[in-house]
Amino acid sequence: MGSGSVFIVFILMALVSVSAAVMMLLSKNAVHSALWLVLNFTAIAVLYVVLNAPFIAMVQITVYAGAIMVLFLFVIMLLGAEQLQGISGVHGTERYHRAVAFVLVALLVVGFGVVIFNGGTGGGETAVIDASPVALGLRLFEAYVLPFEVTGILLLAAIIGVAVFTRRKKKEA
Amino acid sequence: MTPGQIALRALIVGFIVSFAIITGFAYTTLLERKVLARLQHRVGPNRAGYIPLPRRGGGPERKLLAGFLQPAADAVKLFFKEDMTPGKVDRITYTLAPMITVMPAIILLAVIPWAGEITIFGAEFTPYFAIAPGLNVAVLFLLAITSISVYGVVLAGWASNSKYAILGGIRASAQMISYELALGLTVLIPIMLADSMNLGDIVAAQANGWFVFRQPLAAIVFFIGMMAELQRAPFDLLEAEQELSAGFNVEYSGMRFGMFFMAEYMKMIIFSAIIVVLFFGGYRGPFVDQLPGLGFLYMILKIIFFLFMMIWIRASFPRFRYDQLMGLGWKRLLPISVFNFIIVAVFIVLQEEGVFDSLLKLLGVG
Amino acid sequence: MSEMILDDQPQDDGTAVNQNPVERAAALLKERFPDAVTDDTRDGYTGLMVSADKLVEVATALRDDIGFDYLSSVTGVDQINDNKMEVVYHTYSIDQGGSGLVLHVQVDRDNPVLPSLTPIWPGADFQEREAWDLLGIHFDGHHDLRRILTWDGFAGHPLRKDWKEVFYEEDHKPFGSRWPGGEVFRAEEKTVYGKNVRYPEGWLPTGDEYDVETEMYTGITYTRDQQSGMKTDKLTVNMGPQHPSTHGVFRMVVTLDGETVIDLKPVMGYLHRNHEKIGERNTFIQNLPYTDRLDYLSSMSNNHGYVLAVEKLLGSTVPERAEWIRILMVELTRICNHMWALGFLLNDLGALQTPMLYFYLERELILDFFEEAAGSRMMCNYMRFGGVAYDLPDYVREQETISFLEELIYEHIPAVLDQGDGLMTNNEIVRARSIGVGILSREDAIAYSTAGPVLRASGAQYDVRRAEPYSYYESLDFDIPVRYNGDIYDRYLIRMDEMRQSLRILEQVLPHIKATKGAPIVDGKPQYAIRMPNAGESYGRVENPKGELGYYVTTRRRESNPDRYHVRAPSFINLTPLGKMCEGHKVADIVAILGSIDIVLGEVDR
Repeated sequence: MGSGSVFIVFILMALVSVSAAVMMLLSKNAVHSALWLVLNFTAIAVLYVVLNAPFIAMVQITVYAGAIMVLFLFVIMLLGAEQLQGISGVHGTERYHRAVAFVLVALLVVGFGVVIFNGGTGGGETAVIDASPVALGLRLFEAYVLPFEVTGILLLAAIIGVAVFTRRKKKEA
Repeated sequence: MTPGQIALRALIVGFIVSFAIITGFAYTTLLERKVLARLQHRVGPNRAGYIPLPRRGGGPERKLLAGFLQPAADAVKLFFKEDMTPGKVDRITYTLAPMITVMPAIILLAVIPWAGEITIFGAEFTPYFAIAPGLNVAVLFLLAITSISVYGVVLAGWASNSKYAILGGIRASAQMISYELALGLTVLIPIMLADSMNLGDIVAAQANGWFVFRQPLAAIVFFIGMMAELQRAPFDLLEAEQELSAGFNVEYSGMRFGMFFMAEYMKMIIFSAIIVVLFFGGYRGPFVDQLPGLGFLYMILKIIFFLFMMIWIRASFPRFRYDQLMGLGWKRLLPISVFNFIIVAVFIVLQEEGVFDSLLKLLGVG
Repeated sequence: MSEMILDDQPQDDGTAVNQNPVERAAALLKERFPDAVTDDTRDGYTGLMVSADKLVEVATALRDDIGFDYLSSVTGVDQINDNKMEVVYHTYSIDQGGSGLVLHVQVDRDNPVLPSLTPIWPGADFQEREAWDLLGIHFDGHHDLRRILTWDGFAGHPLRKDWKEVFYEEDHKPFGSRWPGGEVFRAEEKTVYGKNVRYPEGWLPTGDEYDVETEMYTGITYTRDQQSGMKTDKLTVNMGPQHPSTHGVFRMVVTLDGETVIDLKPVMGYLHRNHEKIGERNTFIQNLPYTDRLDYLSSMSNNHGYVLAVEKLLGSTVPERAEWIRILMVELTRICNHMWALGFLLNDLGALQTPMLYFYLERELILDFFEEAAGSRMMCNYMRFGGVAYDLPDYVREQETISFLEELIYEHIPAVLDQGDGLMTNNEIVRARSIGVGILSREDAIAYSTAGPVLRASGAQYDVRRAEPYSYYESLDFDIPVRYNGDIYDRYLIRMDEMRQSLRILEQVLPHIKATKGAPIVDGKPQYAIRMPNAGESYGRVENPKGELGYYVTTRRRESNPDRYHVRAPSFINLTPLGKMCEGHKVADIVAILGSIDIVLGEVDR
């Protein structure tokens, strides 16, 4: 594809993903929020394709849009959380929410400021790598094998933790 | 070829394949009804459409291909039925859900190879005949699209605002996640054996023997996972008639109801095609190298075989219970596919390192 | 067997050893409760008269000390002439067999209050509710005394003798002429309520006043469960009355935690037509075709129970050939019914109709035979007092009858049973779905008054054909199959066993059918306009395919209509433990458990 069409697709997908993210925040219904998030993930996957990284794009859809969001929906439906009207009903936690939101927004503004005043994160120097599955695999298991293994151990610990937690709950009941 | 030509070719092939699949889906319903009927001592649909053959010496005429217009009759019926929207549904989601169900089924068609390298009317199709040939992450593409195809069912269940429907939706989401893991791990085995994620390479790697003979366990696990993914009996818990009356689609009517079935039968065809490509040699068969057009025939015959298998199983087995289904997915299929995957990986590495050759030498065979 | 029980009891009367268990039990009760228990001395009545205030003690003694541990039937009777309400209890002994001890309890008709027997026999639950619903007898101590067959806004208690239906004409059939003066008039012009139905005061069609649903859901909390860590909603699902696998218009209010059942309440009566009131209006013979419609899958057996009850009152005898034909028909019905039951059980397990349709093939042949013999495939109306309606046909499906039956009994049915065994009995999924699901222990099965295959699958070897033989069953050689686990799988197997035993019976019956060809099939002249020679009560019970089917009939002298006509419906009473059996299982198991009980709504709702 020519760079022109790439630019058009990028603008389109950027718009879709940003507006989907905003809609996710604004919609009152938890299930609708989840759906907007799915749209957001899909748009980002298209951005990956545009960036010539189809593998990452497919993984993005499989893992985020496919598995994680289905789990989210499952939990929302199981708990009947879509009927909760706003978060303000939870007693006493409102203040903390506001404080946390304020801190996060402040961080975001600072981050944007740094990026803008430094003229971007060194745009143009982005390493153009071979994003084929084979190249990615080699890179992951040769250059970054330690972080990869550490991530694996972290996830394993999380899985075991979840199993232990649910088990204890069951015994009490 | 220029990108424009590629796009044009994809458009034309896509149109042809989609049209063929939509016709095929209609006739899959007829196949299912006829085969089920025969398995149950019944006749099946035999009224809509037949070719009258006069009987020699008078008497009532014989009816050839009785019932071959039944799919058309069904379609007309579904289109003209009242399309009701119940009162307290979530309207947008309720309307979107059937479409979301059908879309992945059609998107899946993009990468499936229907024949090898072939020239039709002067147009060359290389390296194989598909809408998007040569995609180097084709298998991942299949997994990705499969994983989002559950949304239609889940949303239909939720948006209907009905208890049976939401039970069906919850079952659907849990079932899909559980079986996708086993399915995803099993798909890795043909990838490893063929050393490629390109479906054309996977088919080519089976020239000297289908993967089902090298990895029968993986093929069986894939078939079971596929049935669960397709929500076919005995895994049709989300539309379990006896328990949830119809599960997720209980509030739908008219063509929106029909679209769920459209998606189901199209996915039946497509998944049959996928298992054929991954384990049963794809479009390969006798004389296909000399006459590439035979590839279409082999593909279709193999798909019909798997369709028949699924219908046969539906007629034969009772349904699993929800917890048993989960147990089968997590406690049996997942460990089996994990260990199978590890063993295959280890063997491939050992083979590449030449361990087997040296072992054979040590034993004095080689 | 009776000796065993007798040895445990203190004996002060030497002659008691020679008495049968019923007389013995009656003597013991009279001795222990001299004030409360007396013989029922009314003309034609048997059993004991018990005073209401001692009923619980008498029942406890009967169950625990005397061994009559099975409460088969609870019948309410409106004795309007004595201004009394009467409740009749039929109790039996599972281990000893034999005939039953009948307890009559009479209370004041204007204030009919009885102690409930549900603490002693939980099986009385639905039957007491039925008596409350239809006769207005209040059972003190019943945990859930709601209407069961009529709808909750119903005015009055329809089985009371002074209750008139909307289009009431006369008390008894045959009704008078509808065109007495050569001019026809419609029934609604004659009705006591005028042209319209009368609604109870304060009743609104919207149901605001009689909000029965709230009552139904009491005890079910909608609030989130705060006890366990997970906060999940309970889901209350109404399965039925329109649901593909409730075998008709049956409704279950199911409360679910996820997929697990935590509470189940059966709701019935959607098909209620007050069969018993119709029976009281009908003459005896007119009522025969109505019995077909109870358990419409086994009309022959329904006929059989009813004719037995009326024949006892009439004192008529049945010629030999008629008895053999009756057994032939009833056992074929049993096979028919079990084929249907198993087919639907497998269907409920999710097998897409294939087993059902395989069984249908042979069921068709049996129905063809019924059609040739009785003129109808399902509503046979075949038996008559003192015999049967017609002799066997000469040809069935253009085949000689005997050879048709021989082919059926020796070839077709055994083949399809073996095929069923091969396809289903060892099927992995069938076993996984049914073993250990819906367990009913032996004690519970007896206490809940279950009958038939449900009772026998729980380890109680009780079959009316052996316990209190009727017809020629005493002389026939067959076994009563029994299984001990009480789960769905055992209820499946027991029906397979019973079909094989029925085949054994049929093999013995066929030679008699051949030998008695041409013999009379009815005692004397066929009787149509019967007038009862004596007053009295009668209880005819048969082993219906679904369990013990009992007809309680009372009449007055020279009457041509029953005074009270009550059906002990096995499907109805077998449903009593449904909630208990389903608790803790999954949604999918509910329909399988219901299928394994094998109900027909025509009989449940009556």
